[in-house]
Amino acid sequence: MEWLTVPREWLTSAGEIAKFCGKILGQVYSLKVFRFFGETLRQSGILIVSSTIVIWGLVFIIGLQCGTEGAYFSRSVGAPSQAGVFAAWCDLRELVPYAFGYMMAAKVGTGIVAELGSMRISDEIDALEVMGIDSVLFLCATRLLASWLVLPFVYLAAIGAGFFASYLAVVQQVGDVSSGGYFLVFWMFQNPPDLVYSLIKGMVMATVVVLVGCYYGYNASGGPVGVGTATAKSMVLNIVMVHLIGMLGTQVFWGANPRAPIGG
Amino acid sequence: MVRSVADRAFLPTKNLLEEVGDMMILTGKTISSALRPPYPYGGEFVSQFLFAIKLCWFPLLVSTVAFGFGAPGLQAANFLVIFGALDRLGGFFVLASIREFAPFVTAIVLAGVAGTAITADLGARKIREELDALQVLGVDPVKNLVVPRFLALMLVTGLFNIYALIFGVFGGILATLTNGAPLGPFWATFFTNASTTDLWGSVLKTTLFGAIIAIVCCYKGMTASGGAEGVGRAVNQAVVIAFLGVFAFNYVFTQTLLATHPEILVPR
Repeated sequence: MEWLTVPREWLTSAGEIAKFCGKILGQVYSLKVFRFFGETLRQSGILIVSSTIVIWGLVFIIGLQCGTEGAYFSRSVGAPSQAGVFAAWCDLRELVPYAFGYMMAAKVGTGIVAELGSMRISDEIDALEVMGIDSVLFLCATRLLASWLVLPFVYLAAIGAGFFASYLAVVQQVGDVSSGGYFLVFWMFQNPPDLVYSLIKGMVMATVVVLVGCYYGYNASGGPVGVGTATAKSMVLNIVMVHLIGMLGTQVFWGANPRAPIGG
Repeated sequence: MVRSVADRAFLPTKNLLEEVGDMMILTGKTISSALRPPYPYGGEFVSQFLFAIKLCWFPLLVSTVAFGFGAPGLQAANFLVIFGALDRLGGFFVLASIREFAPFVTAIVLAGVAGTAITADLGARKIREELDALQVLGVDPVKNLVVPRFLALMLVTGLFNIYALIFGVFGGILATLTNGAPLGPFWATFFTNASTTDLWGSVLKTTLFGAIIAIVCCYKGMTASGGAEGVGRAVNQAVVIAFLGVFAFNYVFTQTLLATHPEILVPR
């Protein structure tokens, strides 16, 4: 059964990851994590200072992209005043969550792997255990709670950055539609539930990225080289998961109901 | 006092500029030593090429089908169904898949999977002092390690773009079938709207993405330092810089292509 070894390895590690993530989620859910609330706040601070600017930057570039494509596409079908439809759906529903997920995986996910991995190989995690501190609780659960405290606000601000970039691209750069005409259509094609759905999508991606990062970092082995390999491996799983969550979110939230202000 | 405030404000900027400059120098060195004989990098090129294909084919398949089915597939199909014009989804996929998402999903996957592996590999060699040993032996690390990775990643990213395109369109087919529509109109509008300009633009774009990813990841791997955390930190920075670089370049390229080739915008 030579060909079964690879799928079997995947299944084994999927089970291990699920077990580990279940443990972390349980610790946050049972409020045990508040024993280390100071550490949680410290992690929140690190997240704000080191990651937000990069995330907003990537979302901004993607927003420009949505705006450009929308402007040229609506011009090509002879309705340049309707560029707002494309920009609204492209930004809010699809590409802001994806861009957020990509940058979370790249900046925060791999950052956690590198940090926890180096703690593991320099035996700091074992030292924590010796001191009687639950290392999963102290290292992983605090990071998860910190990301839940901070990231909803980061995400909402990122949506703002994306909208601003699309406005710049459609109205200021290509300039087929007036500012008022653009915003009329743009705001008509979205409403608060869409924003909440988009936020849910982004938060699920962020949660998965943090959990995957914790797993690979906590279980790193094999010296400094092993940390590098674990960081690279976590990225593979993160990218696949971000795309799958994006697809499932679209299917669940907008698959049966387009939520458009037109048509029957 | 003034000095320290200025240092705090400008040192990060200065470091960033220095790093970008170093990457440009590495690009120049790589291109010149790729062209100048001798050419000792054939075997390494082939092995890196196969390595990238082996790592990336599955994540890329899942990612492009998911993206194609979700973003342009379901959302655009929902919009078009309102107007009773689902057959236009094929035409929309030329814009969505060929021009936009096949290239950038390819870049994301290649940077995240192959690029990180390259950084981890080179970083490991750097901190084991293998790169210094190579130089002592008179072997040029740029020619023997960076050039084959640069060329292999450029070629593999360009080829994977076609692969991503096929599976992205497959996502669109799934979306059409979900709506219970026949596939004939999808293909009809797809092939009447597709143009050669779009295709070569897409392939050229991804080839250059591959170059960006290879340079950033090799640079970060070869300059890894700082003990236990060094390699992990290098991979982290490499993937962030590669994503930002790829997307910034994507914006400029698409903008230029759309503005200079208005004929690809005419709907047929």
